Order: sequence, then C-alpha cells, then structure tokens
Amino acid sequence: MDCAVEARNLVKIYPGGVKAVDGVSFCIRPGEIFSLLGPNGAGKTTTVRMLSTLAKPTSGDALIMGHSVVREPDRVRELIGVVPQDLTSDDEMTGWDNVYYQARLHGLSGREAEEATRRALEFMDLLDVAHRKVSTYSGGMRRRLEIAMSLVHEPRILYLDEPTLGLDVQSRRHLWGLIRALKKRGKTILLTTHYMEEAEELSDRVAIIDRGKIIAEGTPEELKARLGGERIHLIVGDPRGAEELASQLSSKGWRARAVDGEVIVTVENAARALPMLAQFLEKAREVKIVKPNLEEVFLELTGRRLREEEPIDSFRYRIMTRRLRR
Amino acid sequence: MAGLVTGTLVVLARDVKKWVGRRGVFIVSIITPLIWIAFFGKSMNIRGLIASSVPQNLPPSLAKQIEEFYNEALKRAFGTSDYFTFFTAGMLAVFSVFQSMFSGVSVIFDKRLGYMDRLLVTPTPRPAIFLGKVGATLFRVSILEALLLATGVALGMKLKPGLSIIDLIAAWLVVMLLALGLSSFYTTLSFYAENQEVVFAVGNLVNLPLMFTSSAIFPVSKMPHWLQLIAKVNPVTYASDLVRYHLVGYTLDSYALELGVLLAVSLALFIAGLWLSVRWMTSR
Repeated sequence: MDCAVEARNLVKIYPGGVKAVDGVSFCIRPGEIFSLLGPNGAGKTTTVRMLSTLAKPTSGDALIMGHSVVREPDRVRELIGVVPQDLTSDDEMTGWDNVYYQARLHGLSGREAEEATRRALEFMDLLDVAHRKVSTYSGGMRRRLEIAMSLVHEPRILYLDEPTLGLDVQSRRHLWGLIRALKKRGKTILLTTHYMEEAEELSDRVAIIDRGKIIAEGTPEELKARLGGERIHLIVGDPRGAEELASQLSSKGWRARAVDGEVIVTVENAARALPMLAQFLEKAREVKIVKPNLEEVFLELTGRRLREEEPIDSFRYRIMTRRLRR
Repeated sequence: MAGLVTGTLVVLARDVKKWVGRRGVFIVSIITPLIWIAFFGKSMNIRGLIASSVPQNLPPSLAKQIEEFYNEALKRAFGTSDYFTFFTAGMLAVFSVFQSMFSGVSVIFDKRLGYMDRLLVTPTPRPAIFLGKVGATLFRVSILEALLLATGVALGMKLKPGLSIIDLIAAWLVVMLLALGLSSFYTTLSFYAENQEVVFAVGNLVNLPLMFTSSAIFPVSKMPHWLQLIAKVNPVTYASDLVRYHLVGYTLDSYALELGVLLAVSLALFIAGLWLSVRWMTSR
C-alpha cells in the first residue's frame, strides 16, 4: 500500500446541480503532510467531507489505508481523525468533557477514555486548563481543543480543515509547531487551507485546487519553480491600461501578463531587471517585487487571487468569530 | 449491538449533562411545570365559579341539595367532582408534548454548530444518534413529570384511593409513550429543517391544537360533534384518559382500545422517525 489516502476521481454534485468537486484524484503517502490549497469555495471542504464519510461521492471513490469510504465507512471512521473548520466544542462543558465524550463515541471504555483524554489534552498543551469551561478559552486554545477531540482515538490519519482560520499570528505559529509534532509522531496529515504561508510552511506536497479541480500538484519548491523566476508587479489601476502595458512589454520580449489592473512581469532577477523597465514604470502607481510563492503560482494558473469573497454560512461564521474573539 | 447501546447512552449522557450543567435552563425547565399547575389549574376553578353564584341566604337543606347537584354534574362531565384533579392529570400528558419540542431544538443546534458532523465521523451506529437524542428527552420528561405530579398533589390533586406503585409506573409509561412519539417527530423534523424557527413554527402549529382538541383540559363528551372526531384521533386524548385511569380512578370504556391507539400512533411516529433520521444521516 503506497497511499495512506487515495482519492480516485471524486465527483460531488449537490442537489440543484452545483458541481462542488469535479474529478479529484491524489495520493497522500504515509507520514507526509499534504495540503489542498485553494480559495474559499474551491471544493476543499467538500473533498474532505467525502474523505471523512460525511458526504457521499456522486461518483468516484477514496481509499483510506485501502478501505473504501463508500463501502466501508465504519472502518474508515476508526482510522481517521477529522478537525472541522467549525468550532464544535461545547461552550458550557469543560475541555475535558468535550474530549472525553468524543473518546466514548469512538467506543473507548470509561477507563480507556479517561487515559486517552489526558494524553490528547497533554499533547495539545491543554492539560492545565482541562477542567475549565470552554467558554473561558482563548481562540487558540479552542482550535487546539478541536484537534484534541479529533486525536483522542489515536487515528493514523488526520484531516485538518482550515485549522488556523481566524487566529492571530502567535496562536497560528503555536499550532503549526503542534502540527509538525504530530507529523513526527507518524501521523499522515491532510491539510486544507487558503493561507499560502501555511501551505508553504507545513506541507511536504501541495495540490492546488480551483473550481472543483486540481490544477497543479508538487512540493512547494516544484510549484514555485514553475514560475520560472521572480516577479515584478506594476500596479496600474485600470484594467484597460494594464492590458495595453502588458502587450507593449510583450512586444519588447518581456514575459508580461495583465491581471485585474496589474501587469505581472516574470524575470530571472528582479533587482537587475528593474532598471531596464524604467521607461515603463511611470505608467504604474506602484511597483512591487515578489519572490516566488504559492500565491503567485495560483495567480499564474488561474489569473485570480487566492483570497476572494465567497458566500459562507453567516450563522456559523458569526458564532465562530464571536467565540474566537475571547 | 453493544455499539448501539453504548452509542445511545453516550449521546444521551452528553445531552443530559448539558441540560443539568446549564443552570439557568435547568431551573427554568423545573419551575415551568410548577407554574403550569399552580396558575392554570387554580385559575380555572370551575366549581368555585358555580358555588359563588349560589345565593347566600338559602335554607341549609336546600343549599346542601344544590351542592350535591353541582357535584354530580361535575362528576358526570369530568369524571371527578374536582376540576383541578382533572386538569392536572391532563397536564401530565400535555407537558410531555411541549417538552418533546426541545429534543428538536437540540438537534438543530448540533447541526448548525457542526457538532452533528463530529458525531457522524465517529463509528457510532447511526440509529444510536437518533435514539440518544430521543432518550435524553424521555429522561428530562421523566424528571419534570415527577415534579409536576408532586406539585399537583401538594396543591390539592386527589389521587384515587388505593393507588399502587403499579399505577404510578403505568402512568409514567403512558406519558413516556406519548413523549416517545412526539420527540421522534420533532427530532426527525429537525434533521431535515434548516433552522430552529421551523421547529418553533411547527411547534406552535401542532402543540396547542393537540392540547385543545384532546381531553386534556375539557372532556370529549361535552365537545361539539366535529371536534369529537378530531379528539378521537388525537393521541393526547388517550394519554390523558389513561393517566386519569391510573392516577385518579377514571373509568374507561375500553382500556385496551385506548392503550392500543396510543401505542400505535407513538410507535408509528418512532419507527418512521428512526428510519427517516438514519436516511438523512447516510444520504448526504
């Protein structure tokens, strides 16, 4: 078995005909951190829901350690831990109780569940606040509690759906450290995120997903190498002007393209190229030099940015932001 | 099988723990039955209403005759000369209708906050999730009904002479049966409903008519004919009658028929609810 998780041409069409996932295949090797990077609404969460047995694929299948999510959902549920995007812990119970009930739902006996709860909370640095009500937790503590709830039955595979959504930089770094520690303990991790820094920082391999399809896959280095150099952004402002400038540059042999009001020029070395672009700079309001990163890769592939406004369940979102604000 | 039992108990235990832990909600839900009995029951004092219209200066023998006449009339209408006793027994049935609505609300919030998905990614058997939710409601109803009955008795409800522990258990089972049917209905509705407003709207649509078209607060025999037809298919009627039979000493035309109808309606709601809820969980 060379894949811990193998998605085979997964398709999900929701009632009403919305095609959320449109033929997604990938292989996550045991012990690696694999990221699905894409904007909100790209199909990341639906993919994770199918891999977690929460949603039935319209067609296709996925094998988790060789077990089909369609035919053996109960076997799959024992193997995976799922950390959802939502904060699902109960405010009015203690952190301990939240994790403990999850352990019991996984079939652990009372004694085993207590031991497992202690271990999971200790690992997520929550043991000293275990007996406080969750309503007193900070946003970072709540996110860590979500992971503890998903770890308590010692799954071999962990899905993290936007684990640091809404967290401040410090809590995010703390969580990144813990995710790396989980990898060291041999967990296979599927991470979905729309933060390119997060994908770059943590992943062994990244799949870029957009509009329900995987449009590129590789290590972060491989993906960035596709850009073929550094990038100079000439921010023009109006799309027409940007188009004109891009075609002018192209005709002079530059690798340039216009993306909503900006001209992106790809060069081997931006510092050396800049003086040669001097005559064009006056047309730009602002000039930015960007080292290759995954945001640029996404922009190159789709002509759009990672962070776009998408409709969300506003009730869930409001509850989540209220809880995180503490 | 072991997984089904354990799963049900864990889902149930968590809901009960939340109920008890939420002190405000817990206290309010305990006070509610007391208020119902004390305010409604005592304000609808039918006997007092009639007695006050009797002139004061009648000769004692005539006054006694009139009183006996009233008692007989009340007894014929309500099966007991005391409306409060009639009413309290009916409220034991009605209360389980209203409480059942809350099992639905709990499912809605679990869904909207994402906790339902947490339940569903564990290997817990799907029926256990439904059974645990319904079971938690039955547990809550049991405790609140006991309080309701105790308050009723303290305020003057007259239990039948020679009341046995069997009668108490039988009355409890009747109330549980009604709660089983209705909480199955509300739990299932909540799996399919998008938000809690749907549950409250249906609750308002269903609960009050169920109360008014049953024998809970008014005897069926004194209703207009068309209303009697509705009352006769209303499970609350049968639950009220059966509770009165066991606690107050009401006489029934056919005990087996009344129990049979209640059993059939509740089990039908339960089985349909279980099937539809599991279908919701497995077909998304």
